[in-house]
Amino acid sequence: MNKKYLLLAGIAISLGIGILFMPEKNTEKQVQPEQLLAAINDPSRFLSTDDITDRLVKKDPALMLIDVRPATQFSAFSIPGAVNFPIDSLLTASIQDMLNQKEMDKVFFSSSDLTSDQAWIICKRMGLKRIYVLEGGVNKWFNTIVKAVKPAETAPAEAMELYQFRMAACQHFFGSREMGANPVATAEKKEVRVVKKASGDKTGGGC
Amino acid sequence: MVGPLIPMGVIPETWNNVIALLLGGGFGFALEASGFSSSRKIMGTFFGYDFVVLRVFFTAAVTAMTGILYFDYMGWMDASMLYINPYYVMSAIVGGIIMGMGFALGGFCPGTSFCGIAIGKIDAMFFTAGLFIGVFIFSELYPLFEGMYNSRNLGGVKIYELLGMRETVFAFLLIVAAVGMFYGAGFVEKKVRKVEY
Amino acid sequence: MAKNKRDGTFYINPYLGGVLLGLVLFGTYYITGRGLGASGAVKSTVVTAVHAVAPSHADENKYYSKFLSDDVSPMSNWLVFEVLGILAGGFLSGTIYGRLKLKVEHSPKITSKRRLIAALAGGLLFGIGSQFARGCTSGAALSGMAVLSASGIITMMAIFGSAYLFSWIFKKLWI
Repeated sequence: MNKKYLLLAGIAISLGIGILFMPEKNTEKQVQPEQLLAAINDPSRFLSTDDITDRLVKKDPALMLIDVRPATQFSAFSIPGAVNFPIDSLLTASIQDMLNQKEMDKVFFSSSDLTSDQAWIICKRMGLKRIYVLEGGVNKWFNTIVKAVKPAETAPAEAMELYQFRMAACQHFFGSREMGANPVATAEKKEVRVVKKASGDKTGGGC
Repeated sequence: MVGPLIPMGVIPETWNNVIALLLGGGFGFALEASGFSSSRKIMGTFFGYDFVVLRVFFTAAVTAMTGILYFDYMGWMDASMLYINPYYVMSAIVGGIIMGMGFALGGFCPGTSFCGIAIGKIDAMFFTAGLFIGVFIFSELYPLFEGMYNSRNLGGVKIYELLGMRETVFAFLLIVAAVGMFYGAGFVEKKVRKVEY
Repeated sequence: MAKNKRDGTFYINPYLGGVLLGLVLFGTYYITGRGLGASGAVKSTVVTAVHAVAPSHADENKYYSKFLSDDVSPMSNWLVFEVLGILAGGFLSGTIYGRLKLKVEHSPKITSKRRLIAALAGGLLFGIGSQFARGCTSGAALSGMAVLSASGIITMMAIFGSAYLFSWIFKKLWI
């Protein structure tokens, strides 16, 4: 009798071990509509351009910048270090695997907030964690970081520090301010991230 | 045939009641043949002289769970279409506690009391009469309970999502826990004095 | 064993019973996409009965009216047929194993009357509790566990935890 039970227990546990090797299902993790509504109304998914820039300069390994614009726009100009997952290819298996990295902060951006927010909602519904939207998109990033406006002499010290940080970051990305001023001209330069001049200023401009 | 068959439209809805009768028949047979028609056998689980409820209950749950997981994995069934009871935090716990008290007093649960009736247990008939009265009382006093009844709805959430675990890991641990409990139950049964019933 | 089979003391091996029950439960999910249940049939019957006796009262009550719709009578509910099946299946098993007998089962320490009162009270509490938890031991706990639903497993733990506690308080009723 005892041997029979041992056999049964063995069968049960080996079936259990079989279960352990089943792949995880995505459909199971759909977010409930109420939770999705609450998440959409929560503005904490928006990250500022300065925040992203700081993390880019510091080479944060957990940061994954995702450009959801079409490939042509991405190759014309994008934020340095970004990857291109056009929104219509977001549901393909390979990109899903890339997005499903739990230890990465996934930050979507497009020209403005619009397409990137759509991408965010799609991923939120699939239950992905640590996903964000770059506020204002690549346009705002360009206007605030690359074309940073020097504040007036009377401006508070914080404004001046912010400006210096932006300048330094821009030099970090593009080598010099003049080159960064024209997005089309920088397109080819994108991969070249050689200038490390910003490293000295970083502490001064850090957020 | 990819299940679930009726929601998928493989079997027409008109067969619903026939299928209900057949499945209910299997349910009733399995319960009665295992001894669930006897309240004193059922109560053995709580006093340690007969763990039949624990054994049957967990074996059944693990069997069905394993079947569903494997069928879903093989693509023979779409597990995401299965109905999941919504989890209302307060209501589920309060209801469970009240039912536990009823269990300890009555010695049956609704399914087993129907089995008891089928073989002529008069106590099961009284229990079922109590069920009707209880449901009636609840419905009449519903406005009093409505707040709690509807509070904190987490929707059809799965236990492993609440715990932040992978489904497969939870299922494996459940099987191991069940086998462990069966082993422990045999141990306790040997120690506790037998009760004649 | 064959000789004893019909004297009412023979029960099948609990693990065999469990696998049988599990297969029925699995079959129910595979065919209908829902689990088994029992208290739902009681609810349907109560709703129908109240509606027949006092239709306006049933329509006014928020709870009854949830389950009343114009075209489908709640009595034609799936679970009602399932419960009729339970009765048939239990009767079949009782016939095979020789357990058909009209009697009150109770501990020798208590009277039949006391047992019946306790059973009635227990049923009453179970009826109330099953409405709170949206299902009973079969509908919420067993079926819920098979699909690993949170409500099923939490309800199961609440039922068995509280039953364990209260069974020691009402120990005299049983042993």
